[in-house]
Amino acid sequence: MSGLLAFLADHTIRNVVAGATLLGVVSGVLGSFAVLRRQSLLGDTLSHAALPGICLGFLIAGTRDLPSILAGALATSVLAALAMLALTRWSRLKTDAGLGISLSVFFALGVVLLTYIQGTGAAGQGGLDSFLFGQAAAMLRSDLWIMAGLTGFSVLLVAALWKEFKLVAFDPVFAATLGLPVAVLEATLTAAIALAVVVGLQMVGVVLMAAMVIAPAVAARQWTKRLGPMVMLAAAFGMASGVAGALASAGARGLATGPLIVLAASAIVLVSILLAPGRGVLWGALRRRRDRRALGESQVLATLHALTTHHGDPDYLSEQGMIDTYHGLATRGTLARLRAGGWVRAVRHLPHEGRHWELTPAGRERARRILADPRAEAGTEPGIDRDGGGA
Amino acid sequence: MLQELLLDIPLTIMATGALVGTAATLVGVFLVLRGNSMLSDAISHSIVFGIVLVWLLTRQQSGPVQILGAALAGVLTVFLTELLARTRRVKDDAAIGLVFPALFSTGVLLLNVYARDIHLDVHAVLLGEIGFVWLDTVTVASLDVPRALVWMAAAAAANGAFVVLFFKELKLSTFDRDLAAALGFAPAALSYALLTLTSTTAVAAFDAVGAVLFIAFVIVPPSAAYLLTDRLTHMLAIGIAISVASSVLGYHAAVLLDVSIGGMMAVVTGLFLLAAFLFGPRYGVVARSWKLLGQRRVNESRLLALYLHDRGGGPQGAVAAALRDRLRWDAGKTAAVIRRSRRLGLVAPEGEVLRLTEQGRRAALELLEPWNAG
Amino acid sequence: MTAPHPGAPETAVHVEDLTVGYLGRPVLWDIDLDVPSGVMAAVVGPNGAGKSTLIKTILGLVKPTAGHVAIHGAPYRRQRRRVAYVPQRSSVDWDFPTTALDVVTMGRYGHLGWLRRPGRDERERAARALEEVGMAGLADRQISQLSGGQQQRVFLARALVQEAEVYLLDEPMAGVDATTERAIVALLHRLRDAGRTVVAVHHDLHTVQEYFDWMAILNVRVVAQGPVAQVYTRENLRKAYGGQVSLLPHGTGER
Repeated sequence: MSGLLAFLADHTIRNVVAGATLLGVVSGVLGSFAVLRRQSLLGDTLSHAALPGICLGFLIAGTRDLPSILAGALATSVLAALAMLALTRWSRLKTDAGLGISLSVFFALGVVLLTYIQGTGAAGQGGLDSFLFGQAAAMLRSDLWIMAGLTGFSVLLVAALWKEFKLVAFDPVFAATLGLPVAVLEATLTAAIALAVVVGLQMVGVVLMAAMVIAPAVAARQWTKRLGPMVMLAAAFGMASGVAGALASAGARGLATGPLIVLAASAIVLVSILLAPGRGVLWGALRRRRDRRALGESQVLATLHALTTHHGDPDYLSEQGMIDTYHGLATRGTLARLRAGGWVRAVRHLPHEGRHWELTPAGRERARRILADPRAEAGTEPGIDRDGGGA
Repeated sequence: MLQELLLDIPLTIMATGALVGTAATLVGVFLVLRGNSMLSDAISHSIVFGIVLVWLLTRQQSGPVQILGAALAGVLTVFLTELLARTRRVKDDAAIGLVFPALFSTGVLLLNVYARDIHLDVHAVLLGEIGFVWLDTVTVASLDVPRALVWMAAAAAANGAFVVLFFKELKLSTFDRDLAAALGFAPAALSYALLTLTSTTAVAAFDAVGAVLFIAFVIVPPSAAYLLTDRLTHMLAIGIAISVASSVLGYHAAVLLDVSIGGMMAVVTGLFLLAAFLFGPRYGVVARSWKLLGQRRVNESRLLALYLHDRGGGPQGAVAAALRDRLRWDAGKTAAVIRRSRRLGLVAPEGEVLRLTEQGRRAALELLEPWNAG
Repeated sequence: MTAPHPGAPETAVHVEDLTVGYLGRPVLWDIDLDVPSGVMAAVVGPNGAGKSTLIKTILGLVKPTAGHVAIHGAPYRRQRRRVAYVPQRSSVDWDFPTTALDVVTMGRYGHLGWLRRPGRDERERAARALEEVGMAGLADRQISQLSGGQQQRVFLARALVQEAEVYLLDEPMAGVDATTERAIVALLHRLRDAGRTVVAVHHDLHTVQEYFDWMAILNVRVVAQGPVAQVYTRENLRKAYGGQVSLLPHGTGER
């Protein structure tokens, strides 16, 4: 325990954990809106497009002064979003090409500026690389305050314009009939997403910021059917992956923080997609398997029943191989389950070889029910809750 | 003679750039047309994972096996993305943005743990070192050839052969996937083949231009070409021409300014795109606004025809005043519309009175009874 | 801007000299329309006649080239709270994390204004509206789990909580089952009987006489408007539908 406290008392580690927390909150909250507005990859474009701004900020300030660098990053990110919008609106290029063009050309411009700065041999330029891959440990206390300020501002903005953002994301046409300035609100949201990206750059870097925008939101969507809880959960997931990644990298020195944070977030996504109640893929698969089994049981029972009526002998013993032939596949498993349920009995029928089966009285009754209404059992629980889950 | 050319530093660099551009454009054209060009973003990042893994297994960085092995990581990305999207819990674009960061992160961490000393540093991963391709040569047919040049030539040739051999199938499955499937052309297999080639090209181009700049070569020249032509063959040709021109111009600009060569090449592709976006003869912003202006003017004349159709002719001055009042056209605009409508033969003056011609009456009816317009 | 001519106050929707162009091409030409207060009105016309454009222009979603619109004697901008709109069903992302009750509550946002959050009062109103459209039991469902007809009823309930005087609907009966169609019509009749005005774009000429008491026939221009009994004639419909007149229902009055 005291070891852990000492660990947490370490200044660098405290900085990193605090930074990762802030990153998680801001990207979770704004990422939710990006994902819901089908702008998941916008985060990727915005983060790559921040590079030229980082360089410009450095060039203008002359040193690695965080406010100027972040201002530059924000400016070129927003510019790239506008470029993407212009390309898709005023030409026949589709969204994917618009995103890709903005991303790669702005980044290339950033690379050019980066090498230009290296050429000038300016002092402190080494720190610029840290924005490419993130360098959490290099974060200063003052950097943290700036991150906290930007995060606080973003969260307050979303809280203040909550129902407007929600309406614009869900039904922009209806929002316009209520007199909301839809274009302004959409632009504000996009700029806020750019702000979140800029906040995260120092922690996880240009490449991995895309994941921080998407992953917490996608994971959160799995657990709830309401926007409010989704945004809260996304913030919590973002925070959890941030802290987990930061602590892991502090514990095992030498492992980069950004990738660890992203892997933590990816793990949360994986668990959520598989296991979230209602929307979890695993439950869907299990349900389908159960339905398939129920169907198989009904069919085998019906077959047994048909064989007995065909032979005019209610105690007729059907041979395993015959049932298999009827269904064109092995029915051993299905029969075993039926036997366990008390619907059929296995008997030996000497001198014939192999296992034979007969219906129990209960089985006969169930078979009659199935024949009367084949749909009664087949697809049990139709259309149940794909999206149930918590609230 | 040939040997001298092959070791001429500026020439090798430009040739490598041009070959990267050509190979990338050949696959990029189809990705852009299919609307999944962002898969190249995912692929080019994910192969970092593949490259690291292959290096750990074989302790070799280049060679055909290594390139193909690393390329599998790109194919894996595509596969995982589709798997995720098929659950219908995640939209396509979100699926892309979930998979490649995870693979990229794994690659970086593997590098952190096992390979701190190798030359494969993460900066080269993103930025490439096209300026140094001439340092690393191999002997081919008793000639010393830069290794990157060999691999890029092979990639370009492979992509070219693929496009030529399967041109009809690629075209059909790009424009009408369902029809291609119905005709038995297996569009899914074709799509995977295309993405495997994209992935292989990305690995081959990696040392030269890095992950992000590769995306520029895949997406930007084909997009620029798409704004200039409607024909697939022309799109391929124009895309390749833009790639080659960008490599040459980018190299010279980079040397002049003493900045990243790969970066400058990608910036120049962006300039070509900007030019096509603004000044393309048919789809450029300027041409389109000009065309829209023309349409607007024709329609304004039709509005005048409609007005005269409804209200009958009248003294020019009165008509002009009524139009000003009704449509908020100012005097200059009203006069211009009347002038243009006369030129189009929709209206004609009879003394002081402006009347609708037979042609004008038809133009008005065409708007009011579109079912007769045919 | 020319000074508005508001029309008589008992006119619910007053449209005057309205021309709407796309690239200067008239989609609506010289529309004059006066929908009296307290009627259930259909807007009919062939495809491309500008029906949806008319509704959108009344709502200020489309900017007219000329002319103006008044709702109960004043421009839409000043009458927003007296108007409710039900869009075509296809316009939203059904996987959005929101429930039926939540969507209906959105109808109150216009009354709340900036910064205020919906509270108990809004949720109670929303619950009552859902009850009114026969969806009380499904309030907590995520919207993708509702059938097409149920989704349409949710949008109708959202319009109800707007507590408007004029209801504008864009093809409310398109693609819904017969039960939902009857429920929607019954609800709209109740609104009319309570003195509200309903204006709906309608695509099915066969049911106009049964459902509506007022109608406007549109085809770029207004072909005819007035009580259904007077306007629903073969002659008028032929003017709007032209060659497609064979599609018209039989037994249409030859007046």
